[in-house]
Amino acid sequence: MAAIAIDLAPAARRLGGMVLIAFLGAALVFFVMRAGHGDPALSALGDQATPEAIAAFRKLWGLDAPLIVQFWNWLSGALTGNFGKSMTVAGGVPIATLVGSRLPNTLFIGLYAMAIAVVISLVAGTVSALRHGRMIDSVATGLAVLGISMPDFWLSYVLVYALALGAGIFPSYGFISPAESLSGAFYSGFLPALAVAAPMAAAFTRMLRTALIETLYRDHVRVARSLGYSGAFIFLHYVFRNALIPYVTVIGLQVRYLLGGTVVVERIFGIPGIGALMVDAAFGRDYGLVQACALTFLVCVLIVNFLVDSLCAALNPRAT
Amino acid sequence: MSIKGTDFTRREVLKLAAGAATAGFALPWTVGGAFAQPAAGTLRAGIAGFNVINILDPAKATLIPEFYVIYGAFNALLKFNAKMELVPDLAESFKVLNSTTLEFKLRRGVKFQDGSDFSADDVKFTIERVADEKTAAPNRSKVAAIQSIQIADPLTVRIVTKAPFAPLLNYLTNTRTGTQIVSRTSLNAMGEAAFGRKPVGTGPFIIKDWKSGESIELTAFPGAFSGAPKVGRVLCPLIAEESSGMTAILGNQVDLTSTAPFADIGSLEKRPEVKVLKQAGLNTRYIAVNNKKGPFSDVHFRRAVSMAFDREVLVKAVLFGEGVAIPGVLPPALWADPKPVWGEYVTFNPEKARAELAKSAFRAGTEATLLVWGSNWWRRMGEIVAGQANQVLGTKITLQATDFNTAYSRAKAGDYDAMVMGWLGFVDPDEYLGEIVGSKGFRNVHFYGSQKMDDLLERGRTEIDPVKRKAVYAEAERLVAEDLPVLPCFCSNIHNLLRPNVKGFVQLPYSNFADQFGTIELG
Repeated sequence: MAAIAIDLAPAARRLGGMVLIAFLGAALVFFVMRAGHGDPALSALGDQATPEAIAAFRKLWGLDAPLIVQFWNWLSGALTGNFGKSMTVAGGVPIATLVGSRLPNTLFIGLYAMAIAVVISLVAGTVSALRHGRMIDSVATGLAVLGISMPDFWLSYVLVYALALGAGIFPSYGFISPAESLSGAFYSGFLPALAVAAPMAAAFTRMLRTALIETLYRDHVRVARSLGYSGAFIFLHYVFRNALIPYVTVIGLQVRYLLGGTVVVERIFGIPGIGALMVDAAFGRDYGLVQACALTFLVCVLIVNFLVDSLCAALNPRAT
Repeated sequence: MSIKGTDFTRREVLKLAAGAATAGFALPWTVGGAFAQPAAGTLRAGIAGFNVINILDPAKATLIPEFYVIYGAFNALLKFNAKMELVPDLAESFKVLNSTTLEFKLRRGVKFQDGSDFSADDVKFTIERVADEKTAAPNRSKVAAIQSIQIADPLTVRIVTKAPFAPLLNYLTNTRTGTQIVSRTSLNAMGEAAFGRKPVGTGPFIIKDWKSGESIELTAFPGAFSGAPKVGRVLCPLIAEESSGMTAILGNQVDLTSTAPFADIGSLEKRPEVKVLKQAGLNTRYIAVNNKKGPFSDVHFRRAVSMAFDREVLVKAVLFGEGVAIPGVLPPALWADPKPVWGEYVTFNPEKARAELAKSAFRAGTEATLLVWGSNWWRRMGEIVAGQANQVLGTKITLQATDFNTAYSRAKAGDYDAMVMGWLGFVDPDEYLGEIVGSKGFRNVHFYGSQKMDDLLERGRTEIDPVKRKAVYAEAERLVAEDLPVLPCFCSNIHNLLRPNVKGFVQLPYSNFADQFGTIELG
């Protein structure tokens, strides 16, 4: 109960830090995007645009103002929740609407992939630790190496060929948004989630296996055995629980990469997610949209970081 | 926090995770959305290889996928048939009154999708709007030669040009020209921005719903003058990767695709569940080079590089045989294309290439950068050209990968040596030669200017007699092969994939799409 009565100053400091990082990140994306080559007018007006048309376009979107003014305009809008409208990717659609409709799909696939990876790794890690050195361990470890080394786009196509076109179990393309049908989303999102999950599952499995094996030979486990407790009891209470701390830490580290990791898979399976949106926006030089997507990613990662740190602290009070 | 509490939470987490992973299989799923099994009479037409559609106002559209959809919602005065002959669309007939005046008799009783009547006034409004600088229409140059548009009566319109202008008829077709006829009343009532999202034309399909970057839904317009469509609804998912378009059709998630990956055509042709339509396309692919500065400003260097790579190898390795090598800018599928003349500077010949390099101010070891962008095959095209040139000439041409916007912006600013480049969907030779190598052509990012070329192109624009016009462009092509303002490479085939039950789709070489939806039947 002592943890509840904590001093609020660190939390406030932390929150302040997050806001500062979000601001710096937004500023960085803003100036880097504009420092590069390329022109939104080219995307929107085509290569035949006259200089007058380009000038009119720049004026319309406020691109003719000095950079610092443009940044201030963006920032003051963003602070009130107004992210402006899409310039070149979805002409005239409010950016908040676009991001709002896309984010749930990406979060869904990310969490779905995480769930799959956790289930696979719990089973595979436990089995290979308990049977370590035997055939089943070699198979699981081999698969884990394979999982880590396979690029996600390649695995995506392998899954499509095997489970969609071959076995005909899953759709080969397309995604039903969870907002439309939750079960449909689980069904149509399975292959993409599995493609995202595979390398994570492999990493988690290896982590869990190592942690479990290490714990199996600790003194307290030997003592428990000598006292005559059953194997299952020892495993659950003395081995597994101790191995859980490094395991959760590794999961936490991976969550941070999840959102970015879905970009390629979103494109292959046609999932209208925020990663694919950001790629389109970057190619089209839809500055405001890139900005909003990047900020969304940034805020998600900051929140996840915060949650993971809190969770780890809760699991292992000694660390704090 | 107690140990007990943690224990409980962990189990809960495990239960939830396991539940989530299996829920998809345990529950009966209700399918909806763009990828559900469609209701009878729904065509699922995947736009593959693209997922950005920014605007659907014909006067403002620039991207090929935008036109894929516009073709089906609009009509122009004229269109092309399967033999690429000009045939009536909204115009019933046309007459050449004199070398600068065209008269169009318009179809009677045509309705726009909002129920209003189509008349000569809409034609005048549409074309004047494209020509108006304030509209900032990407296709403005195509109608800039027009001096006036006269309405003789509600169904007769005369278009007068400042001088004879041969491409005009081609520019008034339902292609990438932006001259698709819009409704003056709807546009004025809705305003430009709203019209760009939900435009109103006379075509067989109405744009009903549009999820940016996801899909477009079309619904049949029973009152279309071309007849009520046979399918009631069309869903066009925007499929970013061409290879995903292929897996989508193989897995029966779509009925038709707009494109297919070159590498897979061979294997797709052997599969019974999909039909491959293909033909030589109206497109051109070349290496754009900077004629103003750097090694490519030297004509001998350009010729040496041009002779140092084998175009047939490009066709085999880049297109997997799905195309033809070309010695100029014009695609062989274009009516005006002469029998290609393979001048010596566009023919692979390592010895002559080295001899030519010796005449140039640049030697073996010369460094240059070749910009590549886009999908894999563009990159492979750059790799082969640079690799072969370096091998034959000892040059040090290196690749730099980027995206199209960056590459093209750099090219326009003159900040480049060379880049892979190409265009598709053009229907008039002036769109290729005039715009790519004419000194005032807006696709001339090569800083190439030749009085001789400009004179030829001017003659091509004003020569009304097609036979004489063809001869002019043949000469211009020979000049391209001499001067090499760009290094010509190849034209690619165009492809559509169809499920066997899709009937009535006619493929046209300019990469058409929704214009055929009105006649499609699902067997």
